[in-house]
Amino acid sequence: MTKKLSLTPYLFLAPALTIIAVFILYPALAVFYYSFTDYNIVQAPKWVGFENYQNLVSDPIFWKALLNSFLYLIVTPILIVLSILLAIAVNRPLPGINAFRALYYVPVISGTIAVGIAWRWLFDYNGGLINGILVGVGILEQPVQWLADPALTLPIAMLLTIWIGLGYYMMVFLAGLQNISEDLYDAAAIDGCNAFQKHWYITIPGLRPQIVFIAVISSLAAIEVFNEIYILTGGLGGILNCGVTMVFYLWRQAFRLQHAGYASAIAMVLLLITLAFSIINIRLLERSGQSQ
Amino acid sequence: MTDAKSMSVARVEHHRRTRKKWIENTVWYIILILVAIITVLPFLWILITSIKGPNDAVVSIPLQFVPNEPTFANYVRVWNQLPIGRFFVNSIFVGVVATACNLLITSLAAYPLAKMNFRGRDAIFYLLLATFIIPAQLTYIPSFVLAVNVFKYYDTLFALIFPSLATVFNIFLLRQAFYSVPNDLIDAARIDGASELRIWWQILLPIIRPTLATVAIFTFVNSWNDFLWPSLMLHQRENMTLPVGLVALQGMFASDFRGVAAGVVMTVLPILIFFIVLQKQFVRGLTGAVKG
Repeated sequence: MTKKLSLTPYLFLAPALTIIAVFILYPALAVFYYSFTDYNIVQAPKWVGFENYQNLVSDPIFWKALLNSFLYLIVTPILIVLSILLAIAVNRPLPGINAFRALYYVPVISGTIAVGIAWRWLFDYNGGLINGILVGVGILEQPVQWLADPALTLPIAMLLTIWIGLGYYMMVFLAGLQNISEDLYDAAAIDGCNAFQKHWYITIPGLRPQIVFIAVISSLAAIEVFNEIYILTGGLGGILNCGVTMVFYLWRQAFRLQHAGYASAIAMVLLLITLAFSIINIRLLERSGQSQ
Repeated sequence: MTDAKSMSVARVEHHRRTRKKWIENTVWYIILILVAIITVLPFLWILITSIKGPNDAVVSIPLQFVPNEPTFANYVRVWNQLPIGRFFVNSIFVGVVATACNLLITSLAAYPLAKMNFRGRDAIFYLLLATFIIPAQLTYIPSFVLAVNVFKYYDTLFALIFPSLATVFNIFLLRQAFYSVPNDLIDAARIDGASELRIWWQILLPIIRPTLATVAIFTFVNSWNDFLWPSLMLHQRENMTLPVGLVALQGMFASDFRGVAAGVVMTVLPILIFFIVLQKQFVRGLTGAVKG
């Protein structure tokens, strides 16, 4: 690398930096300002100091949203474990295995909205597929009001996230598995390892970069979940706000109730949480980068 | 005697192995098929519902799996009432334009970050790292105000394209790819008098093509499935992308299960065909994505 005093690097960076400044940096600063104002997007913001934050602390729905967003993080370890298992399964050289790989990827391609609408029918009270099967087989005597039960809204949304994410993460792990040398497994077999030990001592450490990558991606996606909740609750957040998450509450306050100032305060809390997460994640990434 | 005995032991051993292998494969297939059923069932149910006639039960226990009067009337009804074709054209337009421009802009920015020495490089890098932490949803309130008051592109497709022209994540991925290109190659081109722009376009981009393909797929699929921001920006039916249009469809055909199902099939089927045709590239792109 030669040291050059030219404009070239700045010119190359200029388009990207302009876009990022206008659409990320400026909005972030503006949201910070709005969070101290009474603002409804139409009229000019009015300075109110810390009022929004004070209201936030005494707002039970906000605390519910915060709790729900953290509960949603359960999907990350489940997704990692299930998609590793699935990747191990489709990594076997069985006839027709490519068809299975493609099939598992179909929900990813179809998108949350289309899949979410399909799921709403599945969990429908009368004649949804789930009730139909469970009552038909005799597991349930009566159909269950899946989506009207406050305790079930969040778990069903999580299930949807897992169901969609599984194929995507499986592919990432599959790539990782194919980078692990076959010799390691042969050596382990000679040393008398059983199948479980082989995967525990070779597969898991071998997949470390992918595990870290997916932990980062899926935990951020979980904290910022919106589409699943929106579709499954019809944009209402569920009975007694049982499905309201941080981003859903932000959206509702800003764009349904025109409380943009209050929503900005929610956004700042969201920023603090993702900041904390990102610091942890970057540490992990750096460490896995060094081990490579 | 001992020889014969050991031979028969070997044969039994061999027999036992193939038997064990056979049982093992069967178990794997059972697992694979079970997961496949869980993956496909919701889609199959939607497909069946979409071709049910007016006298076929959509909501019933026990479930009716085979329609007595299969019909395409539901498709015709939905097609006539909603501009599904327009949704497609809009989604494809936004996806292709945003992805192509994004790759150009982010790869242009990634080159100096990876391969040039200039004043402020580290500062710019850390600034980008900081913006990476900001969740997209946080920017929506100010971006909404910008769209309405400054750029005046509310309810146009440009509102979707402009904010996604540069993404920090892509800059990082491409910077990582440029790192792995040997410096000698670039220095040789510089000695030959090639401009930096030519080095970027004619040497670097062809070398990192696999990474470019992966980043392109991610960016396109993200754009294709994006819902929250498009739902805030797109108002008139003719301007909607597929996910936004699907939600509008669900609102319009609220109690018409058959119609909603037909709409879902119409939006999912083309992308599925696209995926099946390009499956190899998709999988290759994905498997190249995370190499640690």
